[in-house]
Amino acid sequence: MKWRMTSPRSPFLRSRRFWLLFLVFAALSSSLLFAQYQKSPPDFGDSYSFPSPTHPEPRSALVRSLDIVLLAAALGTGTWLILKRRSRNGVLMLSIASLAYFGFYRKGCICPIGSIQNVTLSLVDSHYIVSLSVIAFFFLPLVTALLFGRIFCGAVCPLGAIQDLVLLRPKKVPEKLDRALSWLPYVYLGLAVLFAGWGLNLALGSLEIQVGRRFLICEWDPFVGIFRVAGPFHMMAIGAGFILLGMFYGRPYCRWLCPYGGLLAILSRFAWKNVQITPDKELDCGLCADACPYGAIHDLRADRADCLACARCYEYCPRELELSGGGRADEELVQVKP
Amino acid sequence: MEPDEKNGTPERLLDRLRKSWFPPAAVLAAMAGIVAAAYRGYTGPQPPLEKPETPPAPEPAAEKEAEQPPVPLELHYARTAVIGGRDSLHPFRRTLLGVAVGSGDRIHALGDGEVRIFEAGGSFVRAWQVVSDVTCLGTAPDGRIVVGAPGRIEIYDEAGRHLGGFAAGEKDKPAAVTEVRVFGGEVLVADAAARIIRRYDTSGKQLGAIGTRTKTGNFILPNKWLDFDVDARGVVRATDTGRHQVSAWGLDGEPLGSFGKFGMRNAEDFVGCCNPVNLAIAPDGRIVTGEKMVARVKVYEPEGRLLALIGPENFDPNCIHIHLAVDSKGRILAADPVRREVLVFSRVAKDEDSKQ
Amino acid sequence: MSEKSTRRQFIDRSVRVVGFAGIAGAAGLLASRVSGDAVYQVDPFKCTTCDLCRTACVLSLSAVKAVNDFPKCGYCMLCPAYMDVTSQPDEKGIPAGKICPQDALKRKIVGDVDEEDPNNNYYEYYVDEAKCDGCGKCVKACLPPAGNGSLRLEIRYTYCVECNECAIRLVCPDDAIVRIPTPGFPPAGSHGEVEND
Repeated sequence: MKWRMTSPRSPFLRSRRFWLLFLVFAALSSSLLFAQYQKSPPDFGDSYSFPSPTHPEPRSALVRSLDIVLLAAALGTGTWLILKRRSRNGVLMLSIASLAYFGFYRKGCICPIGSIQNVTLSLVDSHYIVSLSVIAFFFLPLVTALLFGRIFCGAVCPLGAIQDLVLLRPKKVPEKLDRALSWLPYVYLGLAVLFAGWGLNLALGSLEIQVGRRFLICEWDPFVGIFRVAGPFHMMAIGAGFILLGMFYGRPYCRWLCPYGGLLAILSRFAWKNVQITPDKELDCGLCADACPYGAIHDLRADRADCLACARCYEYCPRELELSGGGRADEELVQVKP
Repeated sequence: MEPDEKNGTPERLLDRLRKSWFPPAAVLAAMAGIVAAAYRGYTGPQPPLEKPETPPAPEPAAEKEAEQPPVPLELHYARTAVIGGRDSLHPFRRTLLGVAVGSGDRIHALGDGEVRIFEAGGSFVRAWQVVSDVTCLGTAPDGRIVVGAPGRIEIYDEAGRHLGGFAAGEKDKPAAVTEVRVFGGEVLVADAAARIIRRYDTSGKQLGAIGTRTKTGNFILPNKWLDFDVDARGVVRATDTGRHQVSAWGLDGEPLGSFGKFGMRNAEDFVGCCNPVNLAIAPDGRIVTGEKMVARVKVYEPEGRLLALIGPENFDPNCIHIHLAVDSKGRILAADPVRREVLVFSRVAKDEDSKQ
Repeated sequence: MSEKSTRRQFIDRSVRVVGFAGIAGAAGLLASRVSGDAVYQVDPFKCTTCDLCRTACVLSLSAVKAVNDFPKCGYCMLCPAYMDVTSQPDEKGIPAGKICPQDALKRKIVGDVDEEDPNNNYYEYYVDEAKCDGCGKCVKACLPPAGNGSLRLEIRYTYCVECNECAIRLVCPDDAIVRIPTPGFPPAGSHGEVEND
């Protein structure tokens, strides 16, 4: 007899009751395993009572669903702030709140970027079941992107927020380079889907590559290590690198690597409503294009795919300021004659 | 929105911050700090820390030498028979819980919810059902058979007729009966819950307890098992597993000394957390012990000198018990509960190897 | 211009409709399989204490910890999970080496105390979770027949960050990281099965 039994595949073993019993009264299951043993615990007299082994419960389903509710609320509020209220400050506050909750409090999990892999694996392998949170986190921002553009990137994503906050010395990237780099997310997306769904089994002559299913995005996420204040050295180093780069070039991860950003970029091309830079008439001043750190304004129009809905352009738009009750105290709106 | 008010908004604040060199410096410093902390704090790919307080290990060669018994052992045993094994006519299919020697050296084995009786030569005599949950059995010189179950003792005659029984232990704390013996009309019951040996008459009246007069509270039984035997003079010897001792007691509860200590290297020591787990006394007064972790059986002089070693090659390594009995000819009966077979070991001359 | 923009609008609208349909279909398919939210836990029936729980967790100090099941514990003085029984004994004959590389398994005397001979005492063993890294050395050492098997590895939800995908599960050679239903969720048939048959 081997003392370790393989678990029988009975429905009872899969049921919740079993696991509760198992966790709380592990002593009971032990008597099945160690039939040679006496069941009764030792008796130390009345002075000693057994400390009960604690089993910290996971967050309840109710608390768990709060994540979904908060995500939906953040997306809704973000849409309102960007498209209706047209408030850069509001978006900034919302993204800071998102960074605090989804980033530092929830430690970057669950995140839509990583959920690409869960959804892929679940679609490939019907035995792999994803939770409601994963479904909501993957699809809600996609729906929002189809309707209103990349609201998630601008107002909700904690990875975006942390990069947005460190953007202190914005510099322009040559447009050609920007364009070339913006293909990278799709390469990364393809790799992530491949590895999550199938892994890689290649035999090229003598060279054999065998990699099982892996969640690349999670293994190489630059910012979760920072959210958790712990992580493998390579993740922390990559995170620090992205943050340093992000001080000068707006959101390098979002624009040039994020696979979910790539998905959102495709969908937001067909968005129903999108960021309108000026509230009404254009001045052709180009201040908005100068203000956009993401190179998303072409011909004084916000490019739907590249616009990360940060609302900076509103802030620098003379028309916007005029309509909202005057410009900055130290600036005066002067119409330049052509 | 008023202009002044707008000046104080977060975006404007950030805007003003952007114009100074302080924030980039702060971000740089923070990142450097985080990376440094991650490099220090991450334990994953690094080898585990050195074991604390580990003295230098002795030379492996010396260790191996030390494991050999320093003096050649006096007695040698060889396996001469296997009873109730897998291929036998009466295999134990589910459990094998104990072995005892009855009148005429008949071998009584408890398993599969039955008492099975074999002739000394190994031929099957008869079997009968006993109560469920049985844990141990003992035999009386008059042929009666006593079976222990949690909180219960049941008495049968040799043909399997139920003669009676009684509850063992206290009302709110039933005895965890792990061994039962009959001596001089008394039934001695090992109670692993109370960690004592209880003396009963056959009607179930408690006459006394053995094992209470220790330095700190009764027997120490980390493995929740207490085994004992009584020799012809009425000296009880019990396994004090947590202390790694075999202790001797008078029937009145008087401690009569003990032998044994923990040790992984010398054959006369007891290994692991809690050994010996099983014990039997031969008619000549020698003590036979069974150990777990290193499944082996040893024979000692009553004062503790090691006489013989029956090595782990005879038993399943996962044995938590090796139930023992010795018949009138000095043959050792060892029940391996994992392989579910009763092994019979007989004395052999020195030149014969105990391994078969 | 207006014709072009109408065509553009038509394309946009069509893609939107297709997109919504696709999203609804995929989400519906996945949601139809959901029957209970689930968290990860170590299945002790399968676990072989391979040490990957220590290295694979995304946290630098793994969320998998050793847990002592007190009623099952023997309270041994010579606990094989606490001390390395094969190490060199000190002058009292007690092995001086410890099993835990992090020194996270602690003990204290319970019951009557004999100061001179520790063999007369019972000890309560507990895990310092701030130190335990889930290597499972103690769990292995406590397995029968050496010990009572009272120690086991468990994902502690006080530390677990509930990743999208448990990094340990991906590498576990025994498929011992399984999903268990969250207490408090309405009971429903079979919950998330994770093993690939």
